[in-house]
Amino acid sequence: MKKIILLALVFILALAGGSYYYVFIYSKNRKFDMAAAEAISIDATALVKAFQENEANANKTYLDKVLLIKGTVSITAQNQTGEHTITLSSEDPFAGVMATLDSTETKQVKVGDNIQVKGFCKGFLSDVVINNAIIADK
Amino acid sequence: MYMKHLFTLLLSIFSLAGFGQQKVFATKTGQIFFNATGGIEKIAAVNNQTDSKFVDQTGQMIFAVLIKGFKFENQLMEDHFNENYMESSKFPKADFKGFITNIKDVNFSKDGTYPITVDGNLTIHGVSNKVSTTGTLVIEGGVPEINGTFKVKIKDYGISGMYIGDKIAPDASITVKCKYL
Repeated sequence: MKKIILLALVFILALAGGSYYYVFIYSKNRKFDMAAAEAISIDATALVKAFQENEANANKTYLDKVLLIKGTVSITAQNQTGEHTITLSSEDPFAGVMATLDSTETKQVKVGDNIQVKGFCKGFLSDVVINNAIIADK
Repeated sequence: MYMKHLFTLLLSIFSLAGFGQQKVFATKTGQIFFNATGGIEKIAAVNNQTDSKFVDQTGQMIFAVLIKGFKFENQLMEDHFNENYMESSKFPKADFKGFITNIKDVNFSKDGTYPITVDGNLTIHGVSNKVSTTGTLVIEGGVPEINGTFKVKIKDYGISGMYIGDKIAPDASITVKCKYL
């Protein structure tokens, strides 16, 4: 009987320890490997057009997916926290693809460069918004 | 000759009235902070891609954010926030549309911190509610920055979940910090 109680205690402790590790350590430090992730390839103009024509459908296809977006850099900037942002132009001068670069990304780009940006699609405001982006190709 | 004078008169009236001088300030990288810490564990996130515009003459303003753009320190918490509470695939955006009601008190050509009052409609999770709050509009070198904090009752927006009122505070604090570069 004592053996069963001891085993149960060990099991409960192991479960509690595992849960604590998963929630507070693993989940907090888990880093997504953007470079190795599978992605949907699309060009900036087609992506913007998809959201402008039918946002609900575009959300179903692209929201929270990893995209590899080809386009021409129209703006390079920094946001309020100092993170670098790149905007790729589309055929519509009022809408583009704005990507916030991951802090680990060190490649430099300039306006007019034709590049490919890879990141998570977060939806559409004035621009299609991409997060955790890396520059896949210059 | 009469027409020429009439044209000059109309032009003068419009100039005096400030016609055509209205300025729209805009940013796509404003910040909105969310904090719903109810217990020991911090439940807080930031969105660095807030899209906002306001008009200097009328005080009309809009803020829009993508729910999936909120970043938590803990990825698992972020997943729960999106899937179990905000249903962000179904309701991907939140926005506020309203007015700075005392915009006339702000002198855009003079640096300073101006108290503002804001009225409008906040839409989260597909539900709209009226919001009235206060904040500041800071002018520094001609660049405006809007700051403010207000509370929202999570349940007023049709958001439910087992930890609301426990680990998750029933009232979430929303802080806005938008610099219109």
